[in-house]
Amino acid sequence: MIGRWRYWRLKTKLLFLTLFTSALGIALVCASLIFVENQNYRRQLESELHVIAGILAEQSAAALVFEDNEQLNSIISSLDRIETIQQACVYNQQGNVMTSLAGMDKRECPVVNQQMEVGFVDEVYRLLMPVTLDNEVVGQLFLTSHLEVLRGHIRTFVFVATGIGAVILVALVFLALRLQRIVSEPILKLSKTAERIAQDHDYSIRAPVSGTDELGRLGNTFNDMIGTIQQQNRRILESHDSLERIVDARTSELSMANRELEAFSYSVSHDLRQPLRAVEGFGQALEEDCGDQLNEAGKDYLRRIRAASVRMAGLIDGLLVLSRVSRQPIENQTVDLTQLLQEITDELEDISDDVPSEVHIQQGIRVIGDSRMLRVAFQNLLANAWKYSAREEKRIIDISARKEGRWIAIEVRDNGVGFDMRYIDKLFVAFNRLHTPSEFGGTGIGLATVYRVVRRHHGEISATSKVGEGASFVVKLPVSGDQG
Amino acid sequence: MRDHLKYLISLVLSLCLGLASAHASIRSEYEVKAAFLYNFTRFVSWPHTENTSEPLEVCVFGDDPFDDLLDPLRGRKSQGRELQLRYPGDVTNLAGCDVLYIAQSQSRNLDELLKLAQQQGMLTISDLPDFVRKGGMVGYVKQGNVIRFEISLKAATEAGLTINSRLLELAVRVVR
Repeated sequence: MIGRWRYWRLKTKLLFLTLFTSALGIALVCASLIFVENQNYRRQLESELHVIAGILAEQSAAALVFEDNEQLNSIISSLDRIETIQQACVYNQQGNVMTSLAGMDKRECPVVNQQMEVGFVDEVYRLLMPVTLDNEVVGQLFLTSHLEVLRGHIRTFVFVATGIGAVILVALVFLALRLQRIVSEPILKLSKTAERIAQDHDYSIRAPVSGTDELGRLGNTFNDMIGTIQQQNRRILESHDSLERIVDARTSELSMANRELEAFSYSVSHDLRQPLRAVEGFGQALEEDCGDQLNEAGKDYLRRIRAASVRMAGLIDGLLVLSRVSRQPIENQTVDLTQLLQEITDELEDISDDVPSEVHIQQGIRVIGDSRMLRVAFQNLLANAWKYSAREEKRIIDISARKEGRWIAIEVRDNGVGFDMRYIDKLFVAFNRLHTPSEFGGTGIGLATVYRVVRRHHGEISATSKVGEGASFVVKLPVSGDQG
Repeated sequence: MRDHLKYLISLVLSLCLGLASAHASIRSEYEVKAAFLYNFTRFVSWPHTENTSEPLEVCVFGDDPFDDLLDPLRGRKSQGRELQLRYPGDVTNLAGCDVLYIAQSQSRNLDELLKLAQQQGMLTISDLPDFVRKGGMVGYVKQGNVIRFEISLKAATEAGLTINSRLLELAVRVVR
């Protein structure tokens, strides 16, 4: 029963506790009343019998000393009217029975001696009283009283007490049923309110509160808590809304600025080309048509002008590519990167094979992305590797790919001059060069383009190197292509 | 069978008890009368006897029928007073007696003795027939084998004696 206690409903628990306590109290009260009544009744019986015996002893003293049995008989027979008296015996000084009164069962008078049991013995009360005359014991009076009346009285008392107890208990059941509501109702209401709030996420609901006791305080605290939650909820929603609005505004501003910037760089590089072509074209015409009129210094200047204009054309091309990879929409498709890298390597080998080259490309690299953009990116990376390893005795380029969680990491490693890691943060910024043009040619736009392509594929790029021991570029692209 | 045995045993027992009580009643007539004499003193109160240290004098006047049966009374106490036995030989020696037993031999002097007793507040006891009617206070009578007594409350009252009602209840006859 106790094991199931925690599954009981609150109402049942309250009711059970109330009734159990009351029943226990009633039972205890009844038991103690019965006990006290029993004691009282016994004491009363005892004192009554003592009074009766005292009177009889006083009455029979004279008859005893004069051995007047007739008189004794008449005295004793007066006890006949007292129905509780079972037996009465009168003994003379020598302990002989002078007269006796036996009830229905006609039992013998016991022998009077010192060891005689008196008081409540078994089913009867036994009383032995000396008959005295002038302080001299002249005989004994022995009385036994059956306890039927006492038993009947106690039985009746038990019945009445049990009956009253039952009636009180029934009344208590009704009372407890009504009274437990005072305690359980607010708790049940509170619990129902809490359930409804949890279910509907409606924080405007409030629990009904009555009174200022602990339950009232609990209800108030609960309502305060719900109020706080409601307020905080509103504040969070408001700030979320405003944040979203700000983000939207910023994003649109930013993309507009970006678009303007890209359009500007495109038009600038495009428009710069025409005058440059004129410079180059007329430079060439000047060299071919009037070359013999120029002295050596003039020819050198002219060569430098033409070289500078070629480099500037390269710069402009680079800017255009960078601008294109920034503006063009990405078309995601599966790209066979191994094949793409092989084609680039072949092109590079066609252009220059000043030192013997050894290029290892891992087979079966497949990524998801825009093939044109990826070609631009890896062309730049491979061209760099090619360029910075041109002074080695043998050029070794190693391209491998491995899967890292939801990324695919493609590493391009060369055995070239490498770079100083102190300048790593300038590596992917446009127009920043770690080597002078006299050491290695270049525009300073290549790695910026690579960076832009990788970012637009939601990927990452990193580089590690040691001066003189080659460089390693790792491009990480998401496996599914549309992450980030 | 068992009931028979029980009956038999109870019969034997009651027979034994009956014999014992019969034995008790076998006492001689004067043995009983001596005991009665003592017992009478316990239910009678004398005037002017607040002082319990004063002995209670029992006088046997005339030919003593008790022999030595009264001797055990000597020194016994009645209502706190010590009993003393006296056998006065002459009427003049009767002064100071509280209880006066008048033997049958004194039947001729009865009137004189009773008068004296009444004057001096003595309890008069006698075997004489019709003693109470003649003005005595307590008289033994015999009913079959049983010794009983008669009381004259009138005589006792005249002598200034009070007799306990318990004693009166036991008397065969009370003259008022």
